Amino acid sequence: MATSTDRKVSVSRPRPTPSRIQDLAATPESPRTPLLRSTSSIYGSPGGSFRSEEEYIVLELGSRYLRGGFPGESAPRCTLNFGPDQQRRVGDYRQWNPEYASKRRKRKRGEEWGREYELYRMDLRDEDLGLIEDKFERAMREAHNKYFLLDPKPRRVLLALPPLMPRELLSTFLSVLFTNFQAPSVTLLSSPILSAVAAGLRSALVIDMGWAETTITGVYEFREVHQRRSIRAGKYLSEEMAKMLNEELAKRGIATPGDDITFEEAEEVLSRVGWCDTLDEKTSNGEDEFVDAPEELPDPSISIPFPLAIPPTTLTLPFSALSSPAETAIFASATPLHDFDDHDLPLHILAYRALLSLPIDVRKVCMSRIIITGGVSNLPGLKTRLLKEVDKLVQQKRWDNVKSYGSANEKHERLIRERQQRLQARTSDSTKVADTTDPDIESTPVLAGLAEPETDPIADKLAHLNMKMIPTATNIGGVIRGVESLGAWAGASLIAQMRVKGIVEIERDKFLQHGLQGASREKEISVVPQRQSMGPGMRPGAGDRGSWTLGVWA
Amino acid sequence: MTVSSLEPPKHPSTDDAGGLAGPFFLSCPYCHWSTLDIGVEFEKHTGITQQLARIKNGGQVVPSLKEREKAREKRREARDGLAPAREDISVETSDAADPTSHEEVFYNLSSFYKSQLSLGASSQPFSPHHDINFSSPSSFSRIMNLYSSASSKKQKRDKPPPMREASSVAEGLTIHSSSSDHAAIQALKLHGWDHTLTYSQKNNQLDQSIRFASELRPSPTLLCTKRGKRCRACRHILSKPEPKITSTRYKIKLLASNHIPRLSIRALSASLPLPTVPSSAAQGFDYSHLQPATTIHFLLTVSNPLFEPVRITLATPSTIMGKVKSKVTILCPQFDVGANTDVWDEALSSAPARRGGPSDSSSGVANSTQVEAGKIWERGRNWTSIILEVVPGIFEQHRGPTFGGGQRSQDDDDLAEDEDVLEIPIFVRIEYESDVAVEDRAPGTEHTRLGGKEKREEAFWSVLGVGRIKSLP
Repeated sequence: MATSTDRKVSVSRPRPTPSRIQDLAATPESPRTPLLRSTSSIYGSPGGSFRSEEEYIVLELGSRYLRGGFPGESAPRCTLNFGPDQQRRVGDYRQWNPEYASKRRKRKRGEEWGREYELYRMDLRDEDLGLIEDKFERAMREAHNKYFLLDPKPRRVLLALPPLMPRELLSTFLSVLFTNFQAPSVTLLSSPILSAVAAGLRSALVIDMGWAETTITGVYEFREVHQRRSIRAGKYLSEEMAKMLNEELAKRGIATPGDDITFEEAEEVLSRVGWCDTLDEKTSNGEDEFVDAPEELPDPSISIPFPLAIPPTTLTLPFSALSSPAETAIFASATPLHDFDDHDLPLHILAYRALLSLPIDVRKVCMSRIIITGGVSNLPGLKTRLLKEVDKLVQQKRWDNVKSYGSANEKHERLIRERQQRLQARTSDSTKVADTTDPDIESTPVLAGLAEPETDPIADKLAHLNMKMIPTATNIGGVIRGVESLGAWAGASLIAQMRVKGIVEIERDKFLQHGLQGASREKEISVVPQRQSMGPGMRPGAGDRGSWTLGVWA
Repeated sequence: MTVSSLEPPKHPSTDDAGGLAGPFFLSCPYCHWSTLDIGVEFEKHTGITQQLARIKNGGQVVPSLKEREKAREKRREARDGLAPAREDISVETSDAADPTSHEEVFYNLSSFYKSQLSLGASSQPFSPHHDINFSSPSSFSRIMNLYSSASSKKQKRDKPPPMREASSVAEGLTIHSSSSDHAAIQALKLHGWDHTLTYSQKNNQLDQSIRFASELRPSPTLLCTKRGKRCRACRHILSKPEPKITSTRYKIKLLASNHIPRLSIRALSASLPLPTVPSSAAQGFDYSHLQPATTIHFLLTVSNPLFEPVRITLATPSTIMGKVKSKVTILCPQFDVGANTDVWDEALSSAPARRGGPSDSSSGVANSTQVEAGKIWERGRNWTSIILEVVPGIFEQHRGPTFGGGQRSQDDDDLAEDEDVLEIPIFVRIEYESDVAVEDRAPGTEHTRLGGKEKREEAFWSVLGVGRIKSLP
């Protein structure tokens, strides 16, 4: 891309060292033009031509939705689902039949909840990859023909994917994009990082509450450092909601047995009136002064119509009952901790453990940048509740890996007490405590972990230097804080707009030749050293271009 | 408008009687929703989309991008004047002030990243993503530098400072605050079910994070396009519409149905031994109530759109997969179909011979009402009919009575939607000889002599929908 122009500039001259030029350009006084003009055709330099073909489509693929749009836009142009209505045959017009719409459809025997609304599952053992390919292709075609309305010129694709993806599935998606839509290249980006980008952060703890599972990813400096997952996510939640509604209907005796709530109904109830208790009423700790407004209603009842039930009925529920599915599905507050397996930990515990297993510096940064994203996170109150629960856990347990000290409990408590006393003493009289040779203190031997850290003048100076350039607000750490994110799609759109080059960029020819096997084995190719060693006009060599990596997907 | 009753068609109507003056609004004649419900009025009756983009629900004006940038500049200047200690406070207070919209946050973020990138990129004028641009001072200085400096001082190269994080609302950072959550819960409590959006309403909105009816916005109708289509494998153009907007014709139109045989199926009703007229043959037959466990004969007609005679081989699984196990037998799985001729040939040639009654058929045709294995039933100019013997399966219903009446109704429901439909998967393989055309000769068949005949072979799966199987009483 840049090769031709760069070479033109520098071909005949001995190259000056890069340092000189970079210094020149780096001096803060040097005038700059804003990077990235919106249109690339305005300048007459030879650089203008190669930009035009770099047009992107931004896609985000989840297990139930495909979002697609253009870079630089804040929201995707289309969000396509993979429901059964998308899979009708040609000439199957039954969905327009009024009789059909007024009938509940049965779930197939033995079929999992919401199975026919999913594009893929992580467990590929009984997945039909050909079917997935066709579904994906159909959705892509619809996006192209109905929403994008593009000329047939091939576009590069920026694909946001969850960082864990079976290779078979990945290969299926890529081959659709390459063969059917003739994308010259596909750049893969991992969605937790994009969520962090869309929140304006470099590091974050991204809690992505998706459909099949919730992933909690520690992102540090745009790198995934840790990931944990739990099945407590959208599917679990909507199934729980259906269970609750069925029970309520049966309790009132208005339901005929065997006539269960369908998936659509449960989804609809969940998305319309589902909510999550924020625990304000019980623990009014005064920090939410806007809550106790006069319009606080005690517990209004909500009536939910079920026109498809036989006979059509309306269920009237107390409002508080509608928060119980979230309670059981996400937080499982009624179940004791030892009943959970690793795959179904409640989210606040999972988040706490994820934080706990991060290195302490990363933890400090991540805990005050908790991003809760994904479809389920739109449930009113959920984010607040989750943050509150995590905060509570941290207050309770501190950062201690040991759950129970057993007989050593006494000693542990003594240590804690000592630490607290020391802390108090330090705050009360800092100069005195700083003097560690003080005889009072020496009488009780100071443990290394409890001793006051030595102040490092150089580190202080560096920190001070940093402070000059970086606003203090970005240095926050050590407290639980939630940050809103615009979501992975918006992050991908931002990245495409900035023309940031992805690490995992797959060229069409290479993929068609070798498939995913062509990727180099190296897990991660760092971009930074290449950039630094690059002289003017020098691209990373041809051999480098030839190899590509799958990054985190490898 | 068939998408949803929510989306109002673009139908500006005037508030005032008759005149084109006064504010306008959009309304839907079908559901009587209008933009007055969300407090949006328009000044002009044209350019609705642009006007709409500038109005929030409730009539507030959205500042345009330029105005926003100006405001941001102003804020920055104001902040520079303040003491740094106070700056933080002002940032914090503006956090709580009002929740910024999704779009605004996005543009804030975007401009923040741009500024950060330009900070970093200017130190690296050679990064591949830096626009080579002579109007840019940095690249100009670089170019000048190329020609001037041989005296390079050994200086320690600075690492580019890492991009920092967004630190304020102006840079796109939104701290989570519980107030929006509480507000949403309060609104739910207050207004209940009817105030919220249905799934389809939500799905058709541009911004899908909304949940209340007051947040609905009219969305523009999607434009329809005419598109050409290319072959997936060889990029050959398959269809190309005429460029004229009003015309619905095609310049190039290569349909698959013109190249593969067409299969059609109908019942061979015993009451009508000579099914010369297809429609009357099917009259006495109830396709939606196929009798299970009895042999039914169907007539499968294969017609050939090609101008060469083809040889057809059919195959099918003997037992259809699925819940209802029907048995299928193709009595004559291999046969020939004559070549297609021009439509005019057909019309001009002797009309009675066309339909090819059993009398004028050639050898090998089962010339009786007797169904015979290995024989074709009937043959025409470019079509051939064979017999398909189908035994529709029985629903597994016999368990019902043993469990009592309640269980029985459960069993009735046990059959999922469309599982009682009898569909026969058929694998069709066709062989024919055709002239070797230069352009579409496959690379593998180079050895065939030019101008001669070339043997071709195609195969595909298809599904024949037969009918619905009646459940046993």
